[in-house]
Amino acid sequence: MSVFMDLNLSYTEDKSSLQRLIETAAQLGYSTVAINYTFELTKKKKEVPKPAQIKELFEQLPIVQGRSRPIRVLNRLTVVMSESSHFRSTAPEYRHFDILALQPTSEKLFHAACMTYDVDIICVIVTEKLPFHFKRGSVNGAIDRGVMFEISYAAAIRDSTMRRYTIANAVNLVERSKGKGMIISSAAERALELRGPYDITNLALLFGLTDQTAKEAVSSTCHSVVRHAETRRTGSGIVCTTKVCTETSDQQGAPVDADTCEAPAAKKHKTAASEGVTAEEGGAKATSAL
Amino acid sequence: MKGVSTQKKSTGYQRVVLKNSAPVLENESTRLSAVEFKQFIITGLKILYGEVGAALTFDVLKYDEDSRTAFLRVPSRGLVKLWSSLTLLGSYQDQACAFRILQVSPFLLALTGNSRELQLD
Repeated sequence: MSVFMDLNLSYTEDKSSLQRLIETAAQLGYSTVAINYTFELTKKKKEVPKPAQIKELFEQLPIVQGRSRPIRVLNRLTVVMSESSHFRSTAPEYRHFDILALQPTSEKLFHAACMTYDVDIICVIVTEKLPFHFKRGSVNGAIDRGVMFEISYAAAIRDSTMRRYTIANAVNLVERSKGKGMIISSAAERALELRGPYDITNLALLFGLTDQTAKEAVSSTCHSVVRHAETRRTGSGIVCTTKVCTETSDQQGAPVDADTCEAPAAKKHKTAASEGVTAEEGGAKATSAL
Repeated sequence: MKGVSTQKKSTGYQRVVLKNSAPVLENESTRLSAVEFKQFIITGLKILYGEVGAALTFDVLKYDEDSRTAFLRVPSRGLVKLWSSLTLLGSYQDQACAFRILQVSPFLLALTGNSRELQLD
């Protein structure tokens, strides 16, 4: 059984509604969620938000349906970029976040985001008509670097005009990328805007994805994003240690670390190692880079 | 969970399904009759696919008003259409709502067990 992720739950000040959002995600079967903070520099004197501590929200994290394991909650920052100066890749504030996403608003910035910026996700605007066309070169460049594109569906549930834009922009992107390197996330603000992972795989068929890429859009591609984020944060690589279960130890005592043992090893590094970093090499490089 | 009847003469089997339910409606006290329920789904189909979509035939085989759970039967070529319109339905009479698809199967008998919940390791 694959592991599902929803890498975009909108952050709200209201703690109880955020709790309900995460609880609902766990009930629907998402093993990992990311709380999204949006940062837009155009509004004056706005600081990069500080992520809330998950421990303050929950004493005990809710259990994922069907997996008997607590949900894993990450923090993610989305930078809305309308000028190239808006994104400073070395800003120390960005280091508080697990995942870094970028939302470019013009073709030039989209190309730059695909080819050069060190981010994990490029958000595709779904609330308005696409201001530019996707170029195959940029899209392929992003996929080669392991940067994924994100479509969020909550706007499509809220409003029928947004639904048109969501579907149109998603179809546009899929035509260019052939469905590779796409993730679908919720961007939900309320619990009722969340949908189950199988609903999303079905919805993705409307966007022109195949059965396989549709399922990957909520599972293994998201996994690649998380891995990519980890390599970005540590310099150039990560080392994963997975506990191999032996026949003698049939006790369930020791809790396995949330990110190990979740997916078969073959799936983990399929696209994650896009920077050409194998696990061991990465570790060595990371130390030398520091 | 219901207690299993303890009659000795005949052996009875009971399938008990326990699900923790995700929220479905904003105002949980709203009641929907079977007719309203089907009409609501047809509206959803019509919004997303227009008149041609609304012409898709599907049946509500069983509907439980208290738990708002239903069995829907649809030809396999209409599954993606019906499912996606259910996914994108977000409001019922100006209150937020959501459809939760519990199980999908091409065979009625297969609904007795869910292969997605099998632990294969």
